[in-house]
Amino acid sequence: MIIIAKCALALTSTVVVAGVYTFREGVIKVDVDEHRDGGSHVHFWVPAAAVPMAMHFVPKRHFRGMPAEASECLPLLRIVTSELRRYPDTTFVDVQDGRDHVRVATVGSKIQIDIVNDEENVHIAVPISTVNDVANQLAADAPGV
Amino acid sequence: MSQLSHRPISQPLARRASVALAAALLFAPVALYAQSVSITSDSSKTSDRWLHVRVVSTESKNETVRVNVPLDMAEKVLPAINKDRLHNGKVRFNDTDMNGVDLKTLLDAVRTAKDGEFVTVQSNDSDVRVAKQNGYMLVHVTEKHLGSGKDGKSTEKSRVDVKIPMKVVDALFSAGKDELDLVAALRALSAHGDTELVSVKSDDNSVRVWLDSKNISD
Repeated sequence: MIIIAKCALALTSTVVVAGVYTFREGVIKVDVDEHRDGGSHVHFWVPAAAVPMAMHFVPKRHFRGMPAEASECLPLLRIVTSELRRYPDTTFVDVQDGRDHVRVATVGSKIQIDIVNDEENVHIAVPISTVNDVANQLAADAPGV
Repeated sequence: MSQLSHRPISQPLARRASVALAAALLFAPVALYAQSVSITSDSSKTSDRWLHVRVVSTESKNETVRVNVPLDMAEKVLPAINKDRLHNGKVRFNDTDMNGVDLKTLLDAVRTAKDGEFVTVQSNDSDVRVAKQNGYMLVHVTEKHLGSGKDGKSTEKSRVDVKIPMKVVDALFSAGKDELDLVAALRALSAHGDTELVSVKSDDNSVRVWLDSKNISD
């Protein structure tokens, strides 16, 4: 009986520690709601730690074929994401016209992009550290960056 | 006392204590993470300098654009952009862009000159004033509606006010002859106090560029 209890405790500990590790970096949250009839509603949460981990399994040749424009943006993305962590929650860009409202802001440790208009609502929240990790990995594998 | 020290701890109590300890150890990282998240809460007043841009257009359904950028970040990001004429935080221009005007010489003349008005143009449809005052370079341009006032006088159509610290202008032209050093200008700007740099007001648009220590625009 005691052995079963010990095994259960070990298993629970492993699950909790794995959960804490996975969610330590936060989650990537994507919400898309189309207002038209039959429009799609996409809502998903992905543990942010899974993205850089998954990128290790992507063959390097796919990164080498990255467009030049994207490669040029990587150093910029790395600097911006490492700098953003230093600042408090801020709305960096807010554009509103008669039709759309676009907002790029930092909330906690995440960068949040919201696009709201008559046709759809899109909300994306990605941990800043995840964007930084991905940019670093892409830069390491892309030639000339 | 000796009776207490020799008394055996009951097994259920020891089990409960160990379960409580294990649970505490298990959830400690979660609690610490929650604390660290709550510490990074919002604060509008920061020690950093922020550049704000606000554009409001009443012309097309109250279109508004608000941009808030920390100067420190802009200083670090600019050298990473190498596109067209912008390289290493410097913008290259040539004589043809300036229609043959030697900007550097012109600026040297303004810098060494005493405070005063350099250009004053007053006409029926616009007023222009370029001056140097208390370490600032000032440019005021007013466009007028001709005779649209009650008594036939001209009324203001649009107004542009630019107020740039001379130190920032100096830093901007501190690079080569045909270069503008944007990073040096930002550095000079960050050493400056709260100030409104550009203000444009017209019938259908208003633009404001200003500098302060808040991470939110008003």
